[in-house]
Amino acid sequence: MSRARDTIGTWIGWAFFADLANGLALTFGYMFSKPVTMQYPDQEKWLPYPRYRGHHFLKRDEEGEIKCVACELCARICPCDCIEVVPYEDEKGNRRPAKFEIDTARCLFCGLCEDACPADAIALGQQYEFSSFSSADLVIGRDDLLAKPGKAATGGGVVAARLNTKKDVLVETKETQGYNWWRNIRRT
Amino acid sequence: MELIVALGLIVFKVAFLIAILLLLPLPLTWLERKIAGHMQQRMGPMRVGWHGLLQPVADGIKLLTKEDHIPAEADRFLFKLAPILALAPPFVVFVAIPFGESVSVLGTEITLYVSNMNVALLFVFAVIGIEVYGVIFGGWAANSKYAVLGSLRTCAQMISYEIPMGFAVIGVVMLAQSMSLLEIVRAQADLWNIVYQPVGFFVFFVAGLAEAQRIPFDLAEAEGDLGAGFHTEYSGIRFAFFMISEYAIVLLVSVLVVILFFGGWNGVLIPLPPLLWFALKVAFFVYVFIWFRFTFPRYRYDQLMAIGWKVLLPLSMANIIITGIAFV
Ligand code: SF4
Ligand code: SF4
Repeated sequence: MSRARDTIGTWIGWAFFADLANGLALTFGYMFSKPVTMQYPDQEKWLPYPRYRGHHFLKRDEEGEIKCVACELCARICPCDCIEVVPYEDEKGNRRPAKFEIDTARCLFCGLCEDACPADAIALGQQYEFSSFSSADLVIGRDDLLAKPGKAATGGGVVAARLNTKKDVLVETKETQGYNWWRNIRRT
Repeated sequence: MELIVALGLIVFKVAFLIAILLLLPLPLTWLERKIAGHMQQRMGPMRVGWHGLLQPVADGIKLLTKEDHIPAEADRFLFKLAPILALAPPFVVFVAIPFGESVSVLGTEITLYVSNMNVALLFVFAVIGIEVYGVIFGGWAANSKYAVLGSLRTCAQMISYEIPMGFAVIGVVMLAQSMSLLEIVRAQADLWNIVYQPVGFFVFFVAGLAEAQRIPFDLAEAEGDLGAGFHTEYSGIRFAFFMISEYAIVLLVSVLVVILFFGGWNGVLIPLPPLLWFALKVAFFVYVFIWFRFTFPRYRYDQLMAIGWKVLLPLSMANIIITGIAFV
């Protein structure tokens, strides 16, 4: 009975284009919804991805000492062979890395180094904007890795606007126009 | 003296119409991309001018400065003729379209139409049919697989929608007892035709969608499966001709729907200037065109032919018979 009524209802709906009307109502509703676009270089962007694997960073312990014990396990497990660790013994007699370099040009951001580390010293963060004109610039040293932004406790993060043309932007040469003018833009 | 004034007026009106028709695609492309963006939760053009308002100008300059390429194997004469064939008819048709009764400027009554033909409707259908030749020739002359497929589809499409479209307006003609668009609008002063002719409107609008080659019936250009269909090989200003023609036809079909079924410049409830009422109604139907485009998928062309022959044609015939029995 109810099935027969359903069938009749479907046919009546079909005759009056109920499904087409549904589709139109949906797109009309979307037209007044907020766009998901992030106007990033002009405005800040949001990175609500807690599991994203971006640029590595090295952590410090409570005393501000580098956590890494230079065990080289990360260098061993790295499938791309892109970590180079050279240990030394510091004043307190702890084993620490004298040199810790990651060649991010080769890194595939698998996160195995983070998993392998026994001292919880290395992790992959949120940052992913570090393209460069020279692959030599992509070899990141120990101190740079220590300075890299970590991950927020909640995951996710906000990146401030880079190209806010209204303030904080410095154009370093006289020519503010021309083919390559944008190369001279810096944040003050 | 009288003659010179009258001639000058006609020249002025025609020039004004051409200017409007050539300029309207600019805001329309912008609107279309904006509406498309927001329907897909994007923002559409944002970078050129305020909210991308100058984007169509930038696009126009780009098209004008691009190489106007003619494929080596193309039929050069037809290839050059096709964009003009596609562009001219929609412009010609507007000669017969009334936009209102008349306004008085400096004591002289100026009619808001170029000519009041007594067979305006016939003229419109006859001339707009020529536009299809532009599409067919364009695809054929380019000598490319995709373009030819687009043209073939247009041929199949044209015979399926032109006939129901012609039949659909017969009901309106019967009600107004005239083929003059002016008389048809005057006949709707009390009650719009949509009340008597919902079926006629439906058939006309669906056929109009096919006429304007818009989704869900944009089989001839079908960017998903045919590259760009009949204008695959066109570039530069000739491509722009096809684009302007498309928007002019969207406008034309909206204008015709408003004149034939929605009372032209007759308003309801709110007393607005007739010309404003007319513009508002036309704008609404142009929006509906864009809205449809970003809601519906494209029909296959056998489906379009089935719709044309098996649904629209019987419906429009039945409409004529019922109108005849009920009103004459
Ligand atoms: S993320 Fe993977 S590839 Fe990159 S450094 Fe760590 S282990 Fe090597
Ligand atoms: S980062 Fe971790 S795994 Fe790598 S050397 Fe330091 S302590 Fe060992």
